[in-house]
Amino acid sequence: MQPALRASDISKSFGAVHALDRARLTVERGEIHALLGANGCGKSTLCKIIAGTVGLDAGEVLIDGQLAALGSPNLAEEQGVALFYQELSLVPQLSLGENIFLGREPRDRLGFTDRAAIQRQTEALIDRVAAVAGKGFRPDARVSDLSPDQRQLAEILKVLARKPKIIIFDEATATLDRRQVEVFFDILRELKAEGVSSIFISHRMDEVFAIADRITVMRNGATVAEFAAAETDRYAVVYAMVGETGAIAASVRDHKPLEGDTRLVVKDARAARLGPVSFTAQRGEILGLGGLHGQGQKALLAGLFGAEPFQGGSVSLDGVDVTARRPADAMARRIAYVSGDRGRDSALPGRSILENTAIASLVRERRHVVPGAVFRERFTEVLAGLNTRYAGLDAPIGSLSGGNQQKVFISRWLSPAPGLLLLDDPTKGIDLGAKGDFYLLARKLADEGATVIIYSSEDSELLSLCDRVLVLNGGAITADLVGDRLTPFELTRASYGDAA
Amino acid sequence: MIGLNKLGGRTWVVTAAALIILLVINAVLQPNFLEPSVVQSNLTTFLPLVLVAIGQTYVILGGDIDLSVGAIVALVNVVTVTVIAGLGGDGTAVVIGLVAGMGVGAACGLVNGLIIAGLRFQPIVTTFATSIVFSGLALWVLPQAGMPVPEPYWRTYAGSILGVPTVYVIYIVAFLIAAFLAARPFATRLKAVGGLRTAAFQTGLDLGRLRVSAFMLSGLFGAFASLCLTGETASGDPLMGQTLAMSAISAVVLGGTALAGGVGGTLGSVLGAWVIGMIGSVIFFAGLPFEYQTLVQGLIILAALAGGVLVTRR
Repeated sequence: MQPALRASDISKSFGAVHALDRARLTVERGEIHALLGANGCGKSTLCKIIAGTVGLDAGEVLIDGQLAALGSPNLAEEQGVALFYQELSLVPQLSLGENIFLGREPRDRLGFTDRAAIQRQTEALIDRVAAVAGKGFRPDARVSDLSPDQRQLAEILKVLARKPKIIIFDEATATLDRRQVEVFFDILRELKAEGVSSIFISHRMDEVFAIADRITVMRNGATVAEFAAAETDRYAVVYAMVGETGAIAASVRDHKPLEGDTRLVVKDARAARLGPVSFTAQRGEILGLGGLHGQGQKALLAGLFGAEPFQGGSVSLDGVDVTARRPADAMARRIAYVSGDRGRDSALPGRSILENTAIASLVRERRHVVPGAVFRERFTEVLAGLNTRYAGLDAPIGSLSGGNQQKVFISRWLSPAPGLLLLDDPTKGIDLGAKGDFYLLARKLADEGATVIIYSSEDSELLSLCDRVLVLNGGAITADLVGDRLTPFELTRASYGDAA
Repeated sequence: MIGLNKLGGRTWVVTAAALIILLVINAVLQPNFLEPSVVQSNLTTFLPLVLVAIGQTYVILGGDIDLSVGAIVALVNVVTVTVIAGLGGDGTAVVIGLVAGMGVGAACGLVNGLIIAGLRFQPIVTTFATSIVFSGLALWVLPQAGMPVPEPYWRTYAGSILGVPTVYVIYIVAFLIAAFLAARPFATRLKAVGGLRTAAFQTGLDLGRLRVSAFMLSGLFGAFASLCLTGETASGDPLMGQTLAMSAISAVVLGGTALAGGVGGTLGSVLGAWVIGMIGSVIFFAGLPFEYQTLVQGLIILAALAGGVLVTRR
């Protein structure tokens, strides 16, 4: 039998950049196939080519043994390929039902949109995820009113509604919590039983080994390894991803007891869906915020930075009240904030690397005239220290990969060094090499006296990086894990609200 | 504000309320305001703006804007009267003139759409530029105002068809077209294009076609409006309808359609157009000196727009 999909010798260049160089991918019918690789390895481009949103320069794609013509998303869809988009493909102004059936609206005999059918069919789809969808997930709900995880579920339903033969899930679980991921996996298994093939892209190794039948690893635009999931292990897969030169900082946590003085005191901090929470943090400490997605971790960080001020409570740093009403207050107190949502919270799109780096200093130092030469020298040094690769300070920020962009956004805050560094899922969507650099940087800053608070959606990150982890559940701190108790078991247990 | 929040995207409810208030004020200022003949005369005055606003709604829903529609109105007018006069002014000539006018309107929309959606020019700059081109063409076709249309044309417009005043027939036809389009997948897809273009593209919608269709609808409704204005003025005027584009955009926004695209509908635009018409009427009958009328009208529209924005902002 022919495989459901066979892509061979796919090459694609964007200008001078070779995104794909004779990449290949074979997916059998009814198979869940994980496509792995560091960011920039070309897996997203390969998927977009298969889904028809990006053209290819060379190579061929066979679907069920037939040469596929993939000029547009529509053509690909006609041939049974559907792509789940990492960058959401939902229109916020339209309702859930309208979005799911956009472009393929059921019609009545006169050709009018059959709204009753949309309602009915959307309800049937919602039933598949009803248990974890949360409140307000109805066919007529406007997508702009849905939470990020609900939008992601909506995106999954939109793909399912097309009844494809091959589904590409590009980071489909990124904003889902663990229960939602489990439901999603159940759906994947049902699809598999129906003979539908899935291509699954995820940064979470746990998920890959939990669900995938086979694994293809890409590096630098080429396919470097293919594994059967049952016959390999994480080490082999990671090794294939990073290659021989890439070294991963598996753990930069040293188990030295904390001796620093108490530096940060948060008392009864409250916000929508958060708290009141109280905790302290010490000089030189990397404090993790753990727990399921959306349990108040982001609200806590945004509140400390004043981006979404607390509704009550107080924050003091080194004995000084630093309860922030707006980010400028926090910045004046050497509090820094780096978000994982780079596009929304960090980037000045289209502006140069220098401008993106200098922006915090401009505000903090109350500059009215940009001291170009001073900043140029200062940030060249800072960026060099971060092992950042860039064409020049005047290149637009968009020319950098996600990992390098994130380094630029962190470098904003390094001159002078921050007293309190808030990290909101900072390594989301950046490659393993950059993550390693990033962990080392966080540790270095802490060793130099900063207090670092980090929220991460990946437990392994918290476990390898943090001295101590506060686990949040439903906006409350359910556990304070340190030392021997800082284990995956305790973390998971506390995440589900089961305090030890 | 809790109750108002429930309005959600339905700003047109607010516009409807404003319309009712204006109706009451007008009824007080003009004792005969509610007489059928006065109602008909007012609705006749508002008709061109209503039509242009309906057409503009599609463009704005799709995330674009059409500043050229006033110039289209003028061009359609001069082409129609010139064609009618050139063919001798009998019944056949009038019909051919009307068809030619509609054709010109659709063609102008097509040009706008192709430049904007095809060549990816900025809609605001492009339609500003094409409006100058269309105005220039209108002056070339008919350098001076004049050239009367034959009597059957304006008599039919002022009269009735099968016992129903022609103006009402036009309203009904326009509403039917708008209702027809609103019930088609086209409406949702256009909102998607205006709402989040990348999402619409990724979903496989034909963006170019949808945007060109919207501009053609705007051109067609502009032509429609022009033919009505021609029925009123009964002559050619290359400078006709200059303020219509801006008034129509105000009407669309007043009606709750977001300038950013993706949200709204033609019903609100019709109400918005009526509100703008009624504001003019209130100012006129309140006996305000002429030199203040435009200023006051502008301020009232600004207030009405601000009101709508404040009510819907959470």
